[in-house]
Amino acid sequence: FKDDLSTSLQLFTPMSPYDLDLPIQATEDVVFSSQFNQPKELPTDFSSVDLSFLPDIAQDNKEQNLSKDGNETQKELDGSIPRNEDSSGIMDESSLSYPDATQPSPEASGMCPLTPMTPMTPATSASESSGIVPQLQNIVSTVNLACKLDLKNIALHARNAEYNPKRFAAVIMRIREPRTTALIFSSGKMVCTGAKSEEQSRLAARKYARVVQKLGFPAKFLDFKIQNMVGSCDVRFPIWLEGLVLTHQQFSSYEPELFPGLIYRMVKPRIVLLIFVSGKVVLTGAKERSEIYEAFENIYPILKGFKKAS
Amino acid sequence: MAAPGRRCPGCGSAELLEDALYAQQQLVCAACGCVLAEGLLTTTYSEEEHRREVAYSQSTGQKEQLSRCLQRGIRRVQDLCKVLQLPTVFEETAVSYFQRAMQHPAFHLVSLEKKELLGGCCVFVTCRQHNWPLTMGTICSLLYAKQELFAGVFLSLQKELGLSVPALSLADLVKTHLNSFRLFQHSADIPAPFVEDKEKMVARTLQIVELAGETWLVTGRHPIPIVTAAAFLAWQSLQPGTRLACPLARFCRVAGVDLPPPAHLRLKELLEILLRMASQLAWLRVFKLDKKTVVKHIGDLLQHRIFLLKNAFCVEEEEEQHAVALGEGSPGSPRAVAQEKGCPVGIKHRQEGGTRPLLPPCLIQPRKRLRMAAPSAVDSAVSGDEPISDSEIEQYLRGPEEIRAFSKAKAW
Repeated sequence: FKDDLSTSLQLFTPMSPYDLDLPIQATEDVVFSSQFNQPKELPTDFSSVDLSFLPDIAQDNKEQNLSKDGNETQKELDGSIPRNEDSSGIMDESSLSYPDATQPSPEASGMCPLTPMTPMTPATSASESSGIVPQLQNIVSTVNLACKLDLKNIALHARNAEYNPKRFAAVIMRIREPRTTALIFSSGKMVCTGAKSEEQSRLAARKYARVVQKLGFPAKFLDFKIQNMVGSCDVRFPIWLEGLVLTHQQFSSYEPELFPGLIYRMVKPRIVLLIFVSGKVVLTGAKERSEIYEAFENIYPILKGFKKAS
Repeated sequence: MAAPGRRCPGCGSAELLEDALYAQQQLVCAACGCVLAEGLLTTTYSEEEHRREVAYSQSTGQKEQLSRCLQRGIRRVQDLCKVLQLPTVFEETAVSYFQRAMQHPAFHLVSLEKKELLGGCCVFVTCRQHNWPLTMGTICSLLYAKQELFAGVFLSLQKELGLSVPALSLADLVKTHLNSFRLFQHSADIPAPFVEDKEKMVARTLQIVELAGETWLVTGRHPIPIVTAAAFLAWQSLQPGTRLACPLARFCRVAGVDLPPPAHLRLKELLEILLRMASQLAWLRVFKLDKKTVVKHIGDLLQHRIFLLKNAFCVEEEEEQHAVALGEGSPGSPRAVAQEKGCPVGIKHRQEGGTRPLLPPCLIQPRKRLRMAAPSAVDSAVSGDEPISDSEIEQYLRGPEEIRAFSKAKAW
C-alpha cells in the first residue's frame, strides 16, 4: 500500500496540490473538515489506502489545527495527505490503477516536506519507507537568563535545587512536569536536559526561568536554542555489524573490545548513529527533528542489507 | 686524545696532542709541530671517524628539529615495537603517525599521560592496518594505562587523522592467543594428559570460533573470552576421557593464561548451541546429552555444522521475535517436531520443539523489560508557549520557616 500512496501523490503533480492558491480550497475545507478533526477515521472508499502507519502526522495535524487556527494555508498543507485520498475519490477511482502503478519518480518524494514550519515525519520516499519512526528520547537546550545569579541563594530558597561547589560550579535543578533537569550557572546561562520534544524543552526552560524569577532575580529568556536531540528506534532484526564495518569503513567504527555497538558517523545529515546487534539504533547529534528522521531513512536500507539470513 | 698508534708523518713521533687554535680543534705533533688533522667538519657523532653509516635519527640533525617531548615519544614508540617484536616497517609507520598526531592541534595540549597513550595508539593502529592481531588489552597492559583513557585517545586519533582501522581478524587472533597457552610442550608443571598438539588444537578452536560467529555469539562481544572458551572446548573434545572433569578455571591456570570473566558465559552459550545442533544429529538423539557429554561429540558436530545449523534453527520472522520467551526443553528427548524444515507456525511449537530462531542472545533473553512507551497524547500536545501557573512554580520554592530551619542546620 505504500506504493499506492506514492502513486497517488505522483498523480497529483499536474494538479499541483501544494499550490497555495488552490481554487477548490474553500469547499474542501467545508466538506472535509471532519477529516481534520478526526484524522484517524478514513472514509470507507479509501480503505485500500491505510494511513495508520503515520501516527505523528495525524497528531501533528491536530496540533497545528489547535494552535494555529485561522491559518488556512497551514491547515491546507497539513491536510493535504488525507486530502489527496479524498480528492482521488472525486476524480475517478477506476482511473487510478493501484496494482499496475509505475515506480514513483523522485519528484513525488520531494513533495513530501511541505513547509519548513510543519515538523512532519517524511511520509514516503522514492523507495519504500521503513514504516518505523524514531522516538525522541532526550533534548538538550540552552537559554540565557541574562543576569548574574547567586547560586547559594538559589540553593537555599529552592526545594528542587542542589548545589555542591566543590563538585560542580552550577546549581542542578529539577522539575516534575515536564520531567527535566537544568544546570544553572552563575553567569545566567542555563542548560536544560531530559525533555522528550522541542516544545517540552522550551516549556521546561521557561519554568526554570520562572523559578529563578520568583527567587528575585531579573531573569529574561534569551536565545533559546536546541543544542542536541537524541532519538532511538528498533529495526526488529539482528544486524551483522562485522559486515557493515567492512563495507562502510569510512563511516563506521566498530571496536568490540571497547563498545558493543557500531558507531556510524553519517555525513549528510551530520548525525552519529549507534547501531547494535539487536537491531536497536540510537541517533544523536541532531539540531532538528527532521535530521533524525532523515538519518534513519538513510540507514534503514543499508541495515536491511546486513540482515544476514541464517 | 688521538687514536693510539698514529704517528706524525713528518717526524714519526708518537707524541700527538689535541690542541685548539682559535677554538678550532687540531691534532698536532708535539715534536715538530706538524698539524695532522684540524677541525671537525661533521656534526655527527665520532663514530663517523670509523666510517660507519649514521642513521638520520641518530644524528644531531634530527634532534635539533624535534622537541624533547616528541623525541621521547618517538623513542617510546620504537621501544614498544621492539618489545612486541614487530617488523621494522611497522616501526616507521607508527612513528610517522605519531609525528602527524603530535602536530595536530587536537593533541597539542593533552596531558603527558595521554601523549604516552598516543604512542601506544599509533602502534596499535599500525598493527591493525597490517592485520597483525594485537588487542587493546595487550597495549594497555604494556602502557599501564586505563582502558577507558586508551579508548578515548584511540577514537580521537582515528577521527582527527582520518585513519581507517580495519576490524580485528578473529582467525589471526586465535592463532596469536593460542601461542601464549603453555600446553603444547611437555613440562614439569603440566600434567601429561593436559598436553595437546598445537596444530589440532588451533584448527578445532578456529572451527568453534567460526561456529560462534555464525550463531551471533561474536558480534558486539569482546573477542578474547570467546577465544578462551573455544580453546577450552577444543582442548576438552580432543581427549574427552581424561579432560571432561577439568573446569575452565583450572584449564586457564595450567595453561598460564588469564581467565576473563565473560568466558564462563560464552562457554555456556557455546554449549547451548552445540546441544541444539546435537539434537538434529540422528545417531546422537538416542543419548541424553547434556553440557558435559556433548563435548565428546564436538568433532562430529563441527563436521556437519552447516546442515545442523540449518535444521536446528529456523529463519526468524520479525513479528514473532519479541514474543519469543524460550523454555529450555530437554535436548535429548526424541523430537518429531524438530524434523520439519522451515519455521513452525506457532510459537508454542518452537518452545516445545526446541528449534528457535537464530538470534543474538540479547534478543532471546532480553534482560530489560521492553518499555513500549509511545508518547501520550498529552505530551505531544505541548506547544512550549503555554501559560505557567504561579502555584506550579511556588511548589518548588521554600517557605520562610523552612529557610530558617535550613540555615540553622547548614549554617549558610
